[in-house]
Amino acid sequence: MRRAAQVVAMALLALIALAAVMSPPRTAHAQEDDERTINVRVQNRLEGENTPVPGVTITVSAGGEEVASAETNENGLAELVVQGRRDYEITVDRDTLPDDVDIPEERASLVITSGQFTSSRIARTFNTGEAASTTEPFVDKLAQRLVDGTRFGLLIAISSVGLSLVFGTTRLTNFAHAEMVTFGGVVAFLFNVTGISFLGFMPFVDDRGRMHLILAAVITTIIGGLFGLFLNGTLFGVLRRRGYSLITLMVISVGLSIALKNVFLHRFRSRRRPYNDYASQSAWEIGPVSITPRDLIVAVISLVVLITVALTLQRTRLGKATRAVSDNLALASATGINSERIIRVVWFSGGALAALGGIFNGLDEQVSFEMGAQLLFVMFAGITLGGLGSAFGALLGGFIVGLFVELATFVVPSELKNAPALIVLILVLLVRPQGILGRAERVG
Amino acid sequence: MNWIGIIENTIKALIGINAVYFALAAIGLNVQFGYAGLLNFGQAAFMACGAYGLGMTAHYFQINMWWGVLIGLGFSLVLALLLGVPTLRLRADYLAIVTIAAAEIVRLVVRSVQFNEYFNGSDGINNFGGPFQRLGSVDWRIFDQVQLFKLNPQQRDYGPSLTIPGVDWTIDVEFTGRQLWALIVGWGLVLILGSFVYMLMRSPWGRVLKGIREDETAVASLGKNVFGYKMSALIIGGLIGTFAGFMLALDRGSVQPDNYSRDVTFYILTALVLGGLATVTGSIVGPMIFWAVFQFADVFLREAVGREGITLFNLRILDTTQVGPTNQILIGMLLILLMVYRPQGLFGNRKEMAIDAR
Repeated sequence: MRRAAQVVAMALLALIALAAVMSPPRTAHAQEDDERTINVRVQNRLEGENTPVPGVTITVSAGGEEVASAETNENGLAELVVQGRRDYEITVDRDTLPDDVDIPEERASLVITSGQFTSSRIARTFNTGEAASTTEPFVDKLAQRLVDGTRFGLLIAISSVGLSLVFGTTRLTNFAHAEMVTFGGVVAFLFNVTGISFLGFMPFVDDRGRMHLILAAVITTIIGGLFGLFLNGTLFGVLRRRGYSLITLMVISVGLSIALKNVFLHRFRSRRRPYNDYASQSAWEIGPVSITPRDLIVAVISLVVLITVALTLQRTRLGKATRAVSDNLALASATGINSERIIRVVWFSGGALAALGGIFNGLDEQVSFEMGAQLLFVMFAGITLGGLGSAFGALLGGFIVGLFVELATFVVPSELKNAPALIVLILVLLVRPQGILGRAERVG
Repeated sequence: MNWIGIIENTIKALIGINAVYFALAAIGLNVQFGYAGLLNFGQAAFMACGAYGLGMTAHYFQINMWWGVLIGLGFSLVLALLLGVPTLRLRADYLAIVTIAAAEIVRLVVRSVQFNEYFNGSDGINNFGGPFQRLGSVDWRIFDQVQLFKLNPQQRDYGPSLTIPGVDWTIDVEFTGRQLWALIVGWGLVLILGSFVYMLMRSPWGRVLKGIREDETAVASLGKNVFGYKMSALIIGGLIGTFAGFMLALDRGSVQPDNYSRDVTFYILTALVLGGLATVTGSIVGPMIFWAVFQFADVFLREAVGREGITLFNLRILDTTQVGPTNQILIGMLLILLMVYRPQGLFGNRKEMAIDAR
């Protein structure tokens, strides 16, 4: 009991330290006493992808009188400063929208009531759509979605390998895995945008302690792995050895998920923010498909990483040992495999891959405190489809579900984009609960 | 620091409407998790069924509000079947995964623009509580003789006023007539449903259910239909959770999609574990203490932080917008610590807390 007590105390302290280290981003200018800032984003949601719309005039009026106006910058953002808590109407000037973009009249304005100002800042987003005149043929749309779906599928596959491997080796369904994904996105943001000033003396780091995203990504991936090791070493591993039941551990992972998510909210706040590098790029047009160089490179890296993981599992001694432990822990231990070491390896690699997935997701959809939580059940659907605990299953299942979700946007509105994952989940459980690659076992 | 205000707020939270709807949801969750070992992480979806059942009578069906009770219970029944049929024959974690996903989908569907016609999107449905509130101002009597109460919805100062001798503090616990009416109905429901579960778990049916939690195979070998028992537990717990949705919607006369997020289920779970799994007392007192502590921490931190915020080593530790997340970090830690050190909570029995079912 005492050892468990020390360990939990350590874990909690570490959580607090984590909260302290992630320094909140600086605000642009000092706030006047009753000055309120309205951040407006105009984005074009097309093919499930948000692209910023620059150069759009936004006006704010109160009581029919215009009080502020601004134009969106290259990130599609406009900042409007108003005095006092009142009811404001925000309007997009439709004439300033680019030709191929339009927003319906009824969605071109919205109202912020005085009660909605819970802090000095408030953010609103306008989603524009395709202008009616430019409709693509179905085949072109399909090609575009296949490309986007492949990207999303690779992202889900990378992010969920850890979830599945941890399940395979320890039978723990880790609900805090979503936060391990967010962790990657947020820590990379810390290195890339916020900066850690005492790192300023190091090479490749500027005087505010910021570094290029590529370097930040490499470091973050390693830290993500260490974070996984840390969770195993201080919490899950210890409690597992102490004989806590799996359901207890599952509920503990829920508690951890709540705590971590709010640590992110506490330090990072609720806004979505882009990285400093590669934030907005113009897309390459390849035939009917458009893809930004950034997305293409991310997809290639993801693919390489996934193939590496698969080869490691298939060919190396370590990989074979991992699969053996996944298959049957007692039997693997009996043949001389150090199962605790394998479990540590799994937590490290799972954490690292989750963090990498978080960075990629941050590049794709910007960084927010709940970016991982929004992907959680798509990941669950993926690993269930592939076969809970099966290493290859996570790769395959994650990819298929990601692709399916993206293709389903033909019939499903984008705000319900992740809903088809649930349908996959339920169908798999009804038809083949062990998943594609899982082995049938009698479970009740 | 305004200690009187803090104490008043804490006492109000202890018996307030939040404690009511958490208690109702926790009684339901307790049937599923505490007694049957079913890990339902989507209790918020059952609450949403209730709340939207009522709300839709005003927005979509345009019928008398009270039909909403039937509609809400109907929604919950369908949801329970939909979740239970694919998962209850499988290991416990499948139910957890499916319920957490389904609850999120339910929230996304009700707040979507696509289904505006039925659920009115992210605005929610407002101002439909009239029939309920009017009942509150009726003259309630027993056999036309003894007057129980007759509330004036506008009056603001119902509730006791305690003067603490010596320090000369006056603590006013004040509710409006409307709030008090919702509290009377709510705590009434808590008592009725709590007693129902208490008796149910002492019936032969309840004993079989607990047996399934302990050892499913053993119960199955005695010829009991394990799947049927689990399914009924999921349905009963879900239907009780629906009443939590009713109360939340009736109290405010409105339903907002974001009141039914995944985190709400987790907080209810925390409150239930705090009180003690597999005890009816725990599922009622847990939420009360949960809200009292939560409200105390919230008001206390807000007072302590003030306008400037707290800064340590040049680092902004806490300002007013960070109080909310801080409290929720504490809730998460509370859940971890409870599960590690006191899984039986305040009123539970550690031996019965063998939630080891796989």
